[in-house]
Amino acid sequence: MHSIPGRRLIMALFLVFLLLPIYWLVNMSFKTNVEIVSTMTLWPHTPTLQHYKRIFTDESWYSGYINSLEYVVLNTIISIAVALPAAYAFSRYRFLGDKHLFFWLLSNRMAPAAVYALPFFNLYSAIGLFDTPWAVALAHCIFNVPLAVWILEGFVSGVPREIDETAFLDGYSFPRFFIKILVPLIASGIGVAAFFCFMFSWVELLLARTLTSVQAKPIAAIMTRTVSAAGMDWGLLAAAGVLTIIPGALVIWFVRNYIARGFALGRV
Amino acid sequence: MARIDLVDLAHSYGGNDAPPESFALKPVTMTWRQGGAYALLGPSGCGKTTLLNLISGIVTPSRGKILFDGRDITPLSTQKRNIAQVFQFPVIYDTMTVGENLAFPLKNRGVAKAEVNARVKQIADLLDLTPYLNRKATRLTADAKQKISLGRGLVRSDVAAVLFDEPLTVIDPELKWQLRSKLKALHREFDLTMIYVTHDQTEALTFADTVVVMHDGRVVQSGTPAELFDKPAHTFVGYFIGSPGMNILPAEVSGHEARIDGHVIGLRRNYGVLPSSKKIEIGVRPEFVDVAAPASGLLSAAIERIDDLGRIQFARVRVGNAKFAARVPPGFSIPGNTAGLIFNPAHVHVYADSQLVEGVA
Repeated sequence: MHSIPGRRLIMALFLVFLLLPIYWLVNMSFKTNVEIVSTMTLWPHTPTLQHYKRIFTDESWYSGYINSLEYVVLNTIISIAVALPAAYAFSRYRFLGDKHLFFWLLSNRMAPAAVYALPFFNLYSAIGLFDTPWAVALAHCIFNVPLAVWILEGFVSGVPREIDETAFLDGYSFPRFFIKILVPLIASGIGVAAFFCFMFSWVELLLARTLTSVQAKPIAAIMTRTVSAAGMDWGLLAAAGVLTIIPGALVIWFVRNYIARGFALGRV
Repeated sequence: MARIDLVDLAHSYGGNDAPPESFALKPVTMTWRQGGAYALLGPSGCGKTTLLNLISGIVTPSRGKILFDGRDITPLSTQKRNIAQVFQFPVIYDTMTVGENLAFPLKNRGVAKAEVNARVKQIADLLDLTPYLNRKATRLTADAKQKISLGRGLVRSDVAAVLFDEPLTVIDPELKWQLRSKLKALHREFDLTMIYVTHDQTEALTFADTVVVMHDGRVVQSGTPAELFDKPAHTFVGYFIGSPGMNILPAEVSGHEARIDGHVIGLRRNYGVLPSSKKIEIGVRPEFVDVAAPASGLLSAAIERIDDLGRIQFARVRVGNAKFAARVPPGFSIPGNTAGLIFNPAHVHVYADSQLVEGVA
């Protein structure tokens, strides 16, 4: 194989470029605020866990994680539950306007979240959903359901129609076929779709912040409000940032094989 | 196990209001005997698969009824019809083992566990799947997967019929022969009604005791392989079955004579006067026409080439503009490019608008 001169160096530089911000965040989270603002140090000289301790003990901090996880999980479950039958219908049935409907669904994703912030705020305030995890979970569906439908449609289409027919011949009713045969067959697709729903919902800030105030405030919103009278609490903010990265990293770790297969099989 | 009656059954993918010529299956009334081995033969796109899917209930007919043992099952779903169907490409449940795949149709119908195991073992033995029983069904070869599909189709002993939709397409020729004889053996052993769709006449003629030939959405003939060969009811059957196919020549027929370009060929039966509005043709299989040296009493033909099939030789000739094939008698050598044709009158059939005309003895 032809080797590019200095390829190791280029790779190393690239990795440093990618990882440096994350390292710096982790680095900061273990420093005291004095160390952060007074000197520039490459590693914590007086390492401390006080910021993490604060987050795990102060309810106004850890409840943010719980709130975030709550609406993210809710949203993922709703999105997949709604998208699975829709994807099956788009893949298997021809009906009037099916292609237009499919495209229209997808085009929902093209509008910026800010467009929806106002109508959702007003609507949810009116019906008493405001400041609950359900508000954010349902709002995120407008982006996640189309995405999940689109991903899952590719996977369902990858399952030959004869599988359906054989299952009926072999004595399965439609619901049983759907749950016992189809869902296991496209498990990797469901994994991929769930991952994308999770990630989107986890990182989305605008809707999440607009639709909550106290009770269901997500961690990302809490993090943006840490300027206090005493100035910026850098270390605490860094620790919160590290903890925010972790769930995403965990999810990626668990679905990494599925995603590779998802890329090879269908959409994504 | 059941007798299957089709009553005026027709289907159009364009809905019931589509013009009659566009129907994928034109109205057909016929009976499939309990325990029969049927082959449904015809070129691609002639409606074989549609007919099969109508019987299994995957497709709901536009018109007509389907009866199992006299009971109308047209509105019943696939699940309730008690039919097994094997598709052209392997359909397996990837998430189950081979054994679970085979047991699946039985389990769903609440068959006792001991019986399921016995039956699965029996089918697996027949199809040489025993070594794989505990393996995941995914990542097997296409051959093995198709065997699983076949096995799943055959595992139930109480089905009304087993439908095969060109099941051996993906299988090696060598294995094809074995599997086909196994299917025949199974048919004899279990007294199952089997309907086997294919476009390969060898497959159809070796598998079935009744061959149903379809053409352009119509069932044109149903009979034993010998009947199809000796007395095709439609020119398409004559042409499609046999290699080379039947010769079809436009002719004028009256009484005991057929006239081609002024040359007279004697017929065994009396056809009287046929309606002049119809297209009259005679059909004769190449096996029943011999080439000979040109002579005044014989229809003359221009020889294009000789095909040596080993056991038998066929001359490809032209009569006027029409292509024609005829047998070359052993030891015969052709002096020039022209030859005479000797017809065996007992095997010359007359067709009016492609339909066989029965003469009077």
